[in-house]
Amino acid sequence: MLSFIVRRILASILTLLVASFIMYVLTAYSDNPLKDLQASNAPNAQLLIGQRIERLDLDVPPPLRWFGWLAGAAGCLTPFTPCDLGTDLNYTPVTQLLPNAAASTVRLVAASTILAIIFGIITGIVSALRQYSAFDLGMTFVSFFLYSLPSFLAAVLLKEFVALGFNNWLSSGDSSIGLIPTLIIALVIGVIMQALVAGSNRKRLITFAIAAAATVGMLYYLDAVDWFQQPGLGAVGLLLLIGGIVFGATAIMAGLNNRRALIGAAIAGVLSYASYFALQGLFDISTVWTIGILGLATLAVCFVVGWILGGNDRGQVIRVTMVVGLLSSLLVVADRYLQAWPAYISSPRINNRPIATVGEQTVGLSGDMWIMGLDTFTHFLLPTISLTLISFAGYTRYARAGLLEVMNQDYIRTARAKGLSERVVITRHAFRNMLIPITTIVAADIGVLLGGALITERVFAISGMGALFAVSLDRVDVNPVMGYFLVIAITAILFNFLADLSYALLDPRVRVK
Amino acid sequence: MTNILRRRGRALAGLAVGTAAMVALAGCTTTTPETSESGSAAPTGGTISVAQTNAATALNSGTPDANLNTNGMVDYLMGAGTGPGSFFYVDNEFNVVPDETNGTVELVSEDPLVVRYTLDPEAVWSDGTPMTTTDMLLAWAIGSGYYDDATYAEDGTVAEGNVYFQLAGSTAGLDTTEFPEIDEEARTLTLTYGEPYVDWNLVNLINKPAHVFAEHAGFGSVEELHTFLEETPAGDPENPGEPNEQLSALAELWNTGYNITSMPEDEGLLVAAGMWVPKDFQADDGGFISFEPNPEWRGEMQPSFDELIIRFIGDPNAQITALQNGEVHVIEPQPSADTIASIEAFGGTLIQGSQLSYDHLDLTFNSEVFSDPAVREAFLLTVPRQQILESIVTPVQPDAEVLNSQQFVTNQPQYEEAVAANGYSDFAEPDIERARELLDGATPTVSILYNTENPNRVDAFQLIQASASEAGFNVEDAGSPDWSSLLGSGDYDASIFGWISPGVGYASLPQIWQTNGGGNYNGYSNPEVDALADESQVTIGDEERLTEIMIEIDRLTREDFYGLPLFQVPGLVATNGAVEGVEYNGGQTGAIWNTWEWTLVG
Repeated sequence: MLSFIVRRILASILTLLVASFIMYVLTAYSDNPLKDLQASNAPNAQLLIGQRIERLDLDVPPPLRWFGWLAGAAGCLTPFTPCDLGTDLNYTPVTQLLPNAAASTVRLVAASTILAIIFGIITGIVSALRQYSAFDLGMTFVSFFLYSLPSFLAAVLLKEFVALGFNNWLSSGDSSIGLIPTLIIALVIGVIMQALVAGSNRKRLITFAIAAAATVGMLYYLDAVDWFQQPGLGAVGLLLLIGGIVFGATAIMAGLNNRRALIGAAIAGVLSYASYFALQGLFDISTVWTIGILGLATLAVCFVVGWILGGNDRGQVIRVTMVVGLLSSLLVVADRYLQAWPAYISSPRINNRPIATVGEQTVGLSGDMWIMGLDTFTHFLLPTISLTLISFAGYTRYARAGLLEVMNQDYIRTARAKGLSERVVITRHAFRNMLIPITTIVAADIGVLLGGALITERVFAISGMGALFAVSLDRVDVNPVMGYFLVIAITAILFNFLADLSYALLDPRVRVK
Repeated sequence: MTNILRRRGRALAGLAVGTAAMVALAGCTTTTPETSESGSAAPTGGTISVAQTNAATALNSGTPDANLNTNGMVDYLMGAGTGPGSFFYVDNEFNVVPDETNGTVELVSEDPLVVRYTLDPEAVWSDGTPMTTTDMLLAWAIGSGYYDDATYAEDGTVAEGNVYFQLAGSTAGLDTTEFPEIDEEARTLTLTYGEPYVDWNLVNLINKPAHVFAEHAGFGSVEELHTFLEETPAGDPENPGEPNEQLSALAELWNTGYNITSMPEDEGLLVAAGMWVPKDFQADDGGFISFEPNPEWRGEMQPSFDELIIRFIGDPNAQITALQNGEVHVIEPQPSADTIASIEAFGGTLIQGSQLSYDHLDLTFNSEVFSDPAVREAFLLTVPRQQILESIVTPVQPDAEVLNSQQFVTNQPQYEEAVAANGYSDFAEPDIERARELLDGATPTVSILYNTENPNRVDAFQLIQASASEAGFNVEDAGSPDWSSLLGSGDYDASIFGWISPGVGYASLPQIWQTNGGGNYNGYSNPEVDALADESQVTIGDEERLTEIMIEIDRLTREDFYGLPLFQVPGLVATNGAVEGVEYNGGQTGAIWNTWEWTLVG
C-alpha cells in the first residue's frame, strides 16, 4: 500500500513538472503581454513598458523564465520557505488571487455537483429498472436535451423565467398560482407519477388520479395560506414529511420487515420532531457553528439509538437511524429558514424581488444567519440549477447503463434464485457494483469542476477559477494562469488517487498493490 | 469491580463530552438576536447601485498597476486628485470645474508660471483631521518625482538610481517646479514652474491624506513628515544615492498600500476629501464597492441618497438582467445592437453618447508609396467613411456621425468650430473618379496594419480594401493580432487603430503630432505643426489660443493628407427608471460624475 502511494506521488510530481513547463511556455508564447501598453497614447507608455518588462522578467525567454517560476512555486511545497507564485500584471501576488477564486468556485460547484450526482444516480436507477418504459424514454429524451443545452442559454432562460418571472409574480401583490397553471402542474405531475409506478392501465389511472388530485389540493392549500409570501412547513407539514422519511428510508435501506430498523427510524423521527418545538428559541440566536454542533449531536444520538436497538444487523440499523435523523433535522432547519423568508423579502434591499441574477450576496444586507443564509441561497440558486441540469444528464446515462449491465450479471441471477427480495438484490448486490464506473467519472469531474464553470461564472458574475483563467490568458498574464494550473492539476491528481482507493472500498476483489 | 469502574469511566466521559458540547454550543451562539434590516433601520435616503464592467482593485488609481477606470471612479468619489472635494473636477463636456469646498487654485503669474493653492480654513478629511499644507506638499512630492534619482535605459527600464512613487501619469510639468513655497499661516502652497506648462490647471494637490502617510511610514506627526520632506534634498540622477528608507516607506503606501483584495481593516486607507467614503468592498467580478456619505462633507453639492454601490458585472447581458431585476439601478455596458434592443424591450431608459476612443486611419509618410501627396490624397478619397460608420456604429447609435476632427471629439464644445475650419468633412463620401484621376493609371500597392482580433477593425479594413481597389489600389492585408508591437516598425503603409482622446489637457499634443513624437508612428513631420505643438505647450491660461492652435493643426494635417478619423466608439448608460438625474459622460469617470444630482424616484 505504502509503496503504491509513494509511486503514485512520484509519478504525479513528474507529470506536474512536465505539464507545468508545457503550460508555461504555451501561455507565454500565446500573445504579446505588452500589447495594451504599446497601443496606449499615455505620455509615459514607454516607462510603463520598461517597468513591466523588469517586474515580470519579460526579457528572459519563457522556457528559461519557467525555472524562475518553478523556484518560487517549489517554496509552496516545503514549510518555512516563502510561497511565491509570482504576481499578475497589476502586481497582485497570485497567492492572494487564488484563495478567493477557489473559494468562489467551490461555493458555486459544490452544491450542484452533489445534487447532480444524487439526482442523476436516482433517475438513472429508476430508468434502468423501468427499461424502455415511457419514463425511461422520457428521461432519455430529457437528459439528452439537457446535455446538449448550452450553459449560457440555460442561464439566460433561468434568469428570464425563474428570476424575473418569479420576482415579478412575487412582487406583483397577487402571488397566487391561478387555476390554469395549477391544472397544468397537476397534469404533468400525474403523468410523471403514473410512468414511475407503471403496471396495468388501471393501476396507472389510479396513480395518475391520486397524484393529480393531491397536487391540486396541495397548490390550492399553498394559495389559500399565501405560502409564497409566508412559507413554512409548520407542525403538521413537518409531521407528514418526517413520517414519510421514516418509512421511506427504512423501506429502501432495510425493508419495512426489519422491525428494529423501523423502530430506530421512528425514534430518530420523533426526536427530530420534538427538537422542532424545543429548539426554536435556540435557533433565534444561532450561528452556523451552533447548527453544526446540533447536527453532530443529532448524528451522535442517532448512532447511540441505533447501537442500542441494533440486534443482529447493528450496522444497518445504525445507518437507517442516522440517515433518518439527519434528513429529519435538515427539514427542521429548512423550516426555520422558511420562517425567515417574510423578513428577508420585505427588506428594503430585497424589495420583494428575492431571486438574484448576479453576484454572491446582496450588498449591504445585514441580518442573522437565517437571513444571510437565504441571501446566499437566492444568489446561488440559478447558477446551481444551471450547472446541475448540465452535469445531471451525464450521470443519469452512466448510472442507467451501469445498472443495466450489472443486472444482467450471473450473481444477480444467483441472488434472485436464492429468494432474496428485489430490494435487497438492488441495494445490496447491484447498487455497489454500479458505483464503480461512476466513481471514476465523479473523480474526473471534480477536477474539471474546480477548473471553474467559465461561462456560468461569467453570466452570473461570480469570479471563480474559470474567470481567473480566462482573464489572465487573455492578457497573457502567465503567473495567474500557472496558479490556476497548479490548483486544478493537483486536484485532478488527488481525486484520481482517491478514486483508485475507493475502488478497493467498493469492490473487495480490487486490492491496492 | 472493573466493570463498575469502566461504567463509571464511561459515564464520566459521556458527561464530559456532553458538557463540552454544551459549552461549545453556548459559545457558538450570538448573544442577542440581530434584527434584520427591515426591523431596525428607519426608512432612509435610499441606495443607488451602479454596474461597472471592470472590478475596482485599489483605492488609488494613480499608480500604473491600479490605473483602471473603476479605480478612477473610486478616486473621483473620494476626491483624491480629481472630483469634488479636491481642487476641481471635470464635467461631461470636459470643462475643468473648480470645487472650492476645500480650497482654491489661483494663477499668480504666467511668466514665470506661478500657481498658488490655498486651503480653506475649515478644510477637513473625512476622519475629522483638518487638512494642512503638508497634504498638498505630499501630493506635490508624489506627482513631481522630486526625490527620484533614476536614469532610464532606452527601453524604459530603470538603468540606475531610485524611483520612489510610481505614477500612472508622468511627472511632466511638475518635474520643472522648484520646492514649493509654503505659508502655514495663510494655508497656501505656491508652485513656481521652471518652464511654462500648459496643463498647470490640471495639477491637483488634494489627493491622499498626509497624516495617514505619516503614520504608515513611522513619522511621529504630520509636522515631522513636513520637516522631512523639506529637509530631504532633491534626487540627482547624475549621482544616484542609496534608497532613502523613509521615502521608500512613504512610497510603499502609495505604490501598493492602497491595492485591495478585500475590505481593508486599516481605516486610514478610507480617509477621503470628497463627498463619498468607502464603506464595504468585495473584489472581482460579482463583487462591489459601496460608499457612504462623508460625515465631514461641507460642500454645496450634496448627495440625496445615503449609499452608493458600484457593482462589478463583466457580462453586458448580465448587467441588463440585473437592471431589469432591480439589483442595480444604472448600468454602463459596452453597447451593441443586442444590448440596446434588450434594454428597450423591458422599458429601460437609454442614455447614449460617444466614448472618448476613436478609430482612425493613418498613412505612413516615410513609406515608399505614400511619400507622394497625390497618392495619399487619392487613397483618402477612396475611404468609405460613411459606410464604415453605418456598418459598425449606426446599428448601436442611430444618430452617430462620421468623426471629422483629429483633435476634438463630438463630446467637446470646440468640435463644431473645428469641423467648420479643418476640412475633414470633404472626405465624407468616397470620390473614386477623382482618385483615379490623381493616380493617373498607376496601381500602387498599399499594405494596411490593423488588429485582426477586433471585428470592427476587420470590417473597416475590408470596406477600405474594396473601395480602394475600385480606384486601382492594390490593398494588402498586413493585419496581425500582434499589431501593437508592429506600430512604428515601418513594415506597413497605413494603419487602422484607436486613440483615446484625453478630453481635457493639452500635454499629449506633441506626442502624436510632432516630428519623432512618442506616439507618432507614421513618420509625420510638418515644421508648422511642430511649431504649433511647441507653442501649445507654453500657452498658459489662454484656452482660446489653444483651441485655435488645435484647429490649425487639424487643418494642416488635413492638407498633408495625414489620414482620416473614422468614428467614435459609441457609449451607453441605461437606467431602469428608478434614478433621475443620470447624464451621459464619455470620460473615464463615466456616469457617476454627478452623483449629487441623482435622485431616487418613488
